[in-house]
Amino acid sequence: MPIFDWLLAVAVVALAAVMARAIWFTPPEALQGEAQKIFYLHVPSAVVGLYLACPLVAIGGAMYLWLRDDRLDRLAESSAEVALVFLSIVLVTGPLWGKPIWGTWWTWDARLTSTLFLWFILLGYTVLRGAIEDRQQRARYSAVLGILASLLVPFIHLSVRLFRTMHPQPIVLAPEKPKLSAEMGLTLSLAFIAFTLLFIALLRGRLKYAALRDRVEALEAGDA
Amino acid sequence: MSELQPPGTMAVALMIARKDLAIEYRTRSAFFSSLVFSLLGVSIFYMVWDPTAVRPIDMAPGVLWTIFAFAGMLGLHRAFGLELQTRAMDGLLLAPVPREAIFLGKALSNLVYVSAVLAVTIPAVVLFYNLEFGSGLLILGGIGILAAVGLVTVGTLFSSMTVHTRFAELLLPMLALPFFIPVVVPAAQASAKLLVGAELRTVMPWIQVLVAFDLMFGVACVLAFPFTIED
Amino acid sequence: MPDNAGYMFAAYIAAAVIFGGYVIALIMRARTMTRRGDAIDTVTRP
Repeated sequence: MPIFDWLLAVAVVALAAVMARAIWFTPPEALQGEAQKIFYLHVPSAVVGLYLACPLVAIGGAMYLWLRDDRLDRLAESSAEVALVFLSIVLVTGPLWGKPIWGTWWTWDARLTSTLFLWFILLGYTVLRGAIEDRQQRARYSAVLGILASLLVPFIHLSVRLFRTMHPQPIVLAPEKPKLSAEMGLTLSLAFIAFTLLFIALLRGRLKYAALRDRVEALEAGDA
Repeated sequence: MSELQPPGTMAVALMIARKDLAIEYRTRSAFFSSLVFSLLGVSIFYMVWDPTAVRPIDMAPGVLWTIFAFAGMLGLHRAFGLELQTRAMDGLLLAPVPREAIFLGKALSNLVYVSAVLAVTIPAVVLFYNLEFGSGLLILGGIGILAAVGLVTVGTLFSSMTVHTRFAELLLPMLALPFFIPVVVPAAQASAKLLVGAELRTVMPWIQVLVAFDLMFGVACVLAFPFTIED
Repeated sequence: MPDNAGYMFAAYIAAAVIFGGYVIALIMRARTMTRRGDAIDTVTRP
């Protein structure tokens, strides 16, 4: 059974088109040069990963504990894996952008640090799932972890912010929001659409895979 | 008969904690290994830095709280690992007591255990890093209790889950360490200031983070625990 | 304007590799799972 269909094809074409538009048909920002175009990858994948995929892990988990529907557990499981993919993009493109612009690969500011630890937690989440045989137990444990993680992120953010206010950091050249021309704004909007499409397609494919796996495992269990 | 009423939540928690501590007191194996681990850690950390480049007093807080998190974690498995042998956990679950009481009892015995390790580690750091005794040390103890409560609540909950998994000893640090950041960072930052003689008021933001963490995760873990032991 | 197009290309290639790698990995996993499912079917339905 194919787990990907036309939706992924559309998303891939959209993403390729946006990338081509960003690289060849969008003017570079005057101060930052071509490297500024990493922005069109970095920001949409961060927004989709942090504000779409990650909340679904916690919400799916909480709803599972309430309704005990396997589909909700699969939603949490799939969102976690897709979130891991998007956050990996964020964590790889971030330093590649930071090096030419800030002059440093990494800075321990609140956003970067929270993202890094969220990535670690998602990794722990997937490893935890892999370490439990029983399906219900796996669902319950990962739901608890997902909910606690959503409580943790504000604390990490707060700790790092406090750390930064108490230890003044060397000021790096940080052009946080480059002034966007109309063309740049359009590219960014298109990138948001493409990344959202890609997220939906990947999540749907991952959900189908999870459903297939559960069916096969149920069959095998019935067989034995 | 009214005398046969089941005991209240706190009473059950105390009973479970006392039972665990009695077992630990007879064997003392986990406590001693955590203790030796933390003393070894303290002395190894001293020798991997150049003491003429970094003053020991600057290193001490970071060393203390890092070691504290790792040593504490070493012992957390014991609480539920004990119950797993001979399936004692089943008996505990069959007893007509609230599930929250089991969690509180386990957390309480872990708290005593972690505090005991800390009670030896703090003097060891003071001794080996040649710190001055002062009023700061008292507040350091207070921070230690706040940090221990945070570490133990989250750690107890996670150990109740990981104990049922494959490679439990590896999984616990992987899950719990991110949750120790808002405990270890404030504790280390606050003690760094206090050790150089800063006033308590300058470290209040850090202490507030610790208190908020303890309250929030205290409640969250008690509520979440029953979900980890359903069967 | 600084000359840093290399970083841009590195980032775009990395993103494409991560997404592509994930899609391929998922397709492979689904294929293995389908095969496992088919194996059961042939056993139960001779």
